[in-house]
Amino acid sequence: MASSLAALLIASPGTAVTAMTKGSLDAVNLAIRLCALYALWLGFFSILEKTGISNRLAKLLRPVVKFLFPGSSAETSKFITMNMSANMLGLGNAATPMAIRAIKSMDVGSAKASINMIMLIVISSTSLQLLPSTVIGMRAAHGSVNPADFIVAGIIATVVSTMVGICLVKGYAGIVKKVNEKRKTKNKKRLSFSTRNTTSNND
Amino acid sequence: MSIFTSYIIPVIFLTVLILSLVKKKNAYTGFLDGARSAVDLMAGVFPYLLTIMVAVEIFRQSGVAGYLAGFCAPALNLVGIPKELTELILIRPLSGAGAIGVLENVYTAYGADTYIGRCASVIYGSSETVFYIATIYFSQSNVKRLGPAIPFALISTFIGCIAGCFALRFL
Repeated sequence: MASSLAALLIASPGTAVTAMTKGSLDAVNLAIRLCALYALWLGFFSILEKTGISNRLAKLLRPVVKFLFPGSSAETSKFITMNMSANMLGLGNAATPMAIRAIKSMDVGSAKASINMIMLIVISSTSLQLLPSTVIGMRAAHGSVNPADFIVAGIIATVVSTMVGICLVKGYAGIVKKVNEKRKTKNKKRLSFSTRNTTSNND
Repeated sequence: MSIFTSYIIPVIFLTVLILSLVKKKNAYTGFLDGARSAVDLMAGVFPYLLTIMVAVEIFRQSGVAGYLAGFCAPALNLVGIPKELTELILIRPLSGAGAIGVLENVYTAYGADTYIGRCASVIYGSSETVFYIATIYFSQSNVKRLGPAIPFALISTFIGCIAGCFALRFL
């Protein structure tokens, strides 16, 4: 960010302030719109919760969640399930509040993101989108003969990206585990070495 | 297709409302409780939202994007993504509104039914505003270091886009 601000100052100092002001104003506009959408979807989710539908949905998707997010609590997996379902329906704004709650319930106070948190970010970013309605509408407005004809390619793209994402995170998890184990054995060796030293000194 | 899809979400809503009637749960108070929590949520998210949007706006206005686009274009062409779409690929993870603007320009310049136009649709439709997602999702937690979350998300999205554009040649 600092580098692009520097570039902006060199290129045209006048627009630097305009850009910052515009960004802030856009954020307020977006916040008002998002607040309305969050209210709508959180209201809806709260009904889902009351009727027990969210628990049933979580139970249905438990095998998937268990594989992707090993060791997550029942509450966390419920939020994750809702997040994934909303993302698939193309309701990104409904998915966001659920993801925030999922991350919050996974939070153990550490400053470092856990593997499951990284998985949630990757899954949400690459999520299969069955109804890209924005693009279809725009193409129709531009006189496309068949505005939905890219959907199959879009599904291929998201399936590939989701699979690559899962492999990356799982691979990373494997490496982290190995490194931790190595460190543990090293510590053990050092520990036994030092105890041996102390015993020899005692001799 | 479009008639069918426009029914999905209203039908889900209606089913849930009917279910809550059948189970004798008060849907009205439930909805109010959920909607009320949205205000608190937004109050917590807002500073993060503002920060990322200011940063993105500076990035866009600075012309760094244009410079980077010129730099990346040949590489993209090599993997089968038209070089005209470099700016779209760069802006997409940063800003949804910005990407819609770029997509609009692509449709106007090259047409919605050309290979470039269809590639642009796949790229927009199958990717997300990764930086925004990462910032907002972690906004209510203690986590400060995201590890490889953003690179992983970007790499997998990019590989997906390559696959999608490749598939378009046969569809």
